[in-house]
Amino acid sequence: MSALLDERPMPERRPARFLAFGLVTILAVSTLTARLFYMQVSQGQHFAQVSERQRVVAQAIPSSRGVIYDRNGTPLVTNVPSFSVKIRPSDLPFSQRDQVVARLAGLLGIDTTTINMAIDGNPGSRFDLVRIAQDVPEPSARLIAEEHLDLPGVEVVVEARREYADGPLLSQILGYTGPVDAEELRQLRSQGYLPDDLLGKTGVEAVYEQQLRGVYGEENVERDATGRKIQVLSTVRPAQAGDSLVLTIDTREQKLAQQALEWGMSASRFKQGVMIVMNPQTGEILAMVSQPTYDDNLFSRGISQADYDKLVKDPNQPLINHAISSQYPPGSTFKLITGTGGLADKKITPTTRIRTAGYLSIGPFRYYDWNHRGFGTINIFDGFGNSSDTFFYQVAAMLGIDRLAYWAHQFGLGAPTGVDLPGEAEGIIPSNQWKQDTFGQPIYAGEVYQAGIGQGYDEVTPLQLLNAYCALANGGHLYQPQVVREVVGPDGNVVRAFQPELIRDLPLSPDVLTTMREAARRVVTIHHTFNLVDLPIVVAGKTGTAEFGLPDKNGHLSFHNWFVAFVPKNGDVSKPDSELAVIAFAYNAQTVGNPATEMVKYYLQLHFGIKKDYRLFFLMRPA
Amino acid sequence: MGVLRAEPARLRRWATSSVGFAWRAFDLQLTVYAVLLAAIGLAMAYSNSAAAGGSALEGGSTFSRGVVWAAIAVVVFGLASIFDYKWLKTFAWPLYFVNLGLLGLSLVIGSGVGGSSRWVSVLGFQFQFSELAKILMIVVLANYLASRQARLGSLMTILGACLLVGPAWVLVMLQPDLGTSLVLLAILAGMLFLSGASLRWLTVLGVTVVALIPIAWTHVLRDYQRQRLISFLDPAADPMGSGYQLLQSQIAVGSGGWMGKGLTNGTQNQLDFLPVQATDFVFAILAEELGFIGAMVVLGLFLALLWRIMVGAWRSRDPFGGLVASGMASMIVFQLFVNIGMVIGIMPITGIPLPFVTHGGASLVSLAAGLGILQSVNVRQVRAEW
Repeated sequence: MSALLDERPMPERRPARFLAFGLVTILAVSTLTARLFYMQVSQGQHFAQVSERQRVVAQAIPSSRGVIYDRNGTPLVTNVPSFSVKIRPSDLPFSQRDQVVARLAGLLGIDTTTINMAIDGNPGSRFDLVRIAQDVPEPSARLIAEEHLDLPGVEVVVEARREYADGPLLSQILGYTGPVDAEELRQLRSQGYLPDDLLGKTGVEAVYEQQLRGVYGEENVERDATGRKIQVLSTVRPAQAGDSLVLTIDTREQKLAQQALEWGMSASRFKQGVMIVMNPQTGEILAMVSQPTYDDNLFSRGISQADYDKLVKDPNQPLINHAISSQYPPGSTFKLITGTGGLADKKITPTTRIRTAGYLSIGPFRYYDWNHRGFGTINIFDGFGNSSDTFFYQVAAMLGIDRLAYWAHQFGLGAPTGVDLPGEAEGIIPSNQWKQDTFGQPIYAGEVYQAGIGQGYDEVTPLQLLNAYCALANGGHLYQPQVVREVVGPDGNVVRAFQPELIRDLPLSPDVLTTMREAARRVVTIHHTFNLVDLPIVVAGKTGTAEFGLPDKNGHLSFHNWFVAFVPKNGDVSKPDSELAVIAFAYNAQTVGNPATEMVKYYLQLHFGIKKDYRLFFLMRPA
Repeated sequence: MGVLRAEPARLRRWATSSVGFAWRAFDLQLTVYAVLLAAIGLAMAYSNSAAAGGSALEGGSTFSRGVVWAAIAVVVFGLASIFDYKWLKTFAWPLYFVNLGLLGLSLVIGSGVGGSSRWVSVLGFQFQFSELAKILMIVVLANYLASRQARLGSLMTILGACLLVGPAWVLVMLQPDLGTSLVLLAILAGMLFLSGASLRWLTVLGVTVVALIPIAWTHVLRDYQRQRLISFLDPAADPMGSGYQLLQSQIAVGSGGWMGKGLTNGTQNQLDFLPVQATDFVFAILAEELGFIGAMVVLGLFLALLWRIMVGAWRSRDPFGGLVASGMASMIVFQLFVNIGMVIGIMPITGIPLPFVTHGGASLVSLAAGLGILQSVNVRQVRAEW
């Protein structure tokens, strides 16, 4: 055996050093063990919580936004799933930002400036998602999702987008949804709005935001270090769907009104106009068309800068709902106020006859009638029917500016109507106080004349004016106009039923309004509105032509045309039973004759299915 | 006659005994401990591949690459065991220059993170020559010190050893690879100490090195290295930046508790909160998924492995063999302590792998070569001399 063993001498060994080495080793391993024991066993609970906290995040569950129907139950907007591309700036390293933005721009077909502006305009913090593009086509969305390793911080998410069935037809009423901005977020964060949230920006989408939105739920989500959602761990609170809206708008009437307005615009070559149809008995708006309009789908899809610039730079302001947000001089339509005031204040009676003339003089100034021959000595019926300016100059002078303003305010002019749409203008009704406050001067007698015929300082919105005539048509009840009829819960229960909202009953005797309705019928019957009287239905109303702006090189002023009308239910204007009132407004019409009257006539033909065409094309000759 | 008849019997007896002795001298325990550690490393690679999504068995996954490297390591270990280590003495100087050459090559054509040049692609595999350099350095140092058995007490022996390590150390620092350069120093110190070099001069040298640290801090270390060293002292100072790794690592370890979250269930791992889980920070994931118990098993295996290596060193009649074992032991202890210490926040981040467990071909194959040489030494201590 020994022969097989190594017989070389053992080298000199140093047991002390081996021992020392062994001790060092054991010391090292003991240190590690002690520290591991401290971390894993003593502090294990603490670290487990920390690990859990960063793994599990509470995340909002968006609720499904309520939809909107017209009064017949036709859906006007639906929620469609669409891809959005978002960036979490904290996950996008600065060194890679240019590269990622350039790649995204290529994939999305938008320019890098737009993306950079979106990132820099981020309303939330660096850790919140920023929406870069909405309604991304599926192939691009898939491509971006697949390239997520090369696009750090970029996420593709499915969001519900609003799809507006009729687009431009109802944009002014429905409005649209869009991304929350920094200021909105500051106010709404406490209500559970997220930095990348969508909300109603205008129209009923904005006014009824709270009802439409519903209540967001909350869930606990497992996420990875890059914030990507891995799985839902538990639902803390389910989302509650938003309520739906039923509008007072009748899509059919809206289309007819739009057809009438568009015809007028092409026949009379004007670029801005309004048409509103209301039920005087309830204040329900059946149609409200403001031209030019825009497609609200552009906004819900994420409007491009070029499209937006085009809309904003259009001098006719397609984004403005001219029916409620623009104010214009009412012209002769205002004579309703002057006439009613004169009768109610007993300055005149239905039989009082006033001498009209070609003009009235105050000192060196002449105030002309539109008819430079005058109408002779006439009563309120013929004065209103012929729209005699000199008649109403004198009635206005009898009332004085403050009583005139009083009656205008009673009819709801010079104050927002309170319609459930955003951005309503107030209008201007001059009074002594107003003139003093605004110009530091007393009002002059000539200005009172002008105020009596709706010229000078007077300005109203088309809706205010129509609503005033609705009060005439219904016997003195000023209702708040409404566009939303009902709010319906997600289960179909009516949350808020329709109810007319009375602003006030006019403080006057019903006889006064009966007189004025008959005077309005006289406008039609004496052919002031030409062949309108030939329609197989009874129409009463008032025309208006208001000059505005500065004279052109021939000394002519531009002018607007109005016609506001109502149709008594059974053909008897003495009864306050009308359920249909219409107003048409043409901004800066380019023809003589009153295109507004023709548009109302056309609308009534369409509405009542009158086969014969009464439109007077010959009147539409260039001014 | 009897003698003549006995001749074949003696031969036969010698042959069987020889193989038997060789087998008996072959340290099976050492091999088993190393294989178990490597298997744990593969299990962690498997878990990590599951985290990356897709099948762990797919080609190109961390796990499948780990299996390929493990197979290569087994072959290298076998070859190194069979190969007579004495030839290494002959080749020590050529190996030394091959070593420097490979490190120089890494500098020229290597690639790595942040402009460093650590990895060289070999047949599609990324290989870190500095790992091999550690083993070659052990062999070269062992040869040098073995040849100076009589003059171990002199300062010249110590300085000579330092001179040998010096060029390789500089090349590694140039990459720059702070971790490996520290391992080289640990190997040097451990081998000198265990070989019996003059304690007095070693102390003087140690004090000198410590005194040089402030100079190294300002002139040798790069910004990111300083940053990592600082953030170790206060990881919360920059939780999203340089301290992130450390905090996440400690959360991973701590949240493992007694039993761990279970293999492939570590959320720090699976959800990518902890970067470089498979390499330098593999122990964090191990502690998270296998818990304190799993960590203790790993530490126990390391202790057992080190015990067997030191037993080999003690038994070796050939000073060269003993020195190779001392070098291996020094290297493993140092890497073990610094790597796990880094993971649990008591050592700065230096990028030192955990032997056998860290996923990395170069590290595993180099360790296999080292252990193979040790086995070769073990086996050849008992063989009959002719």
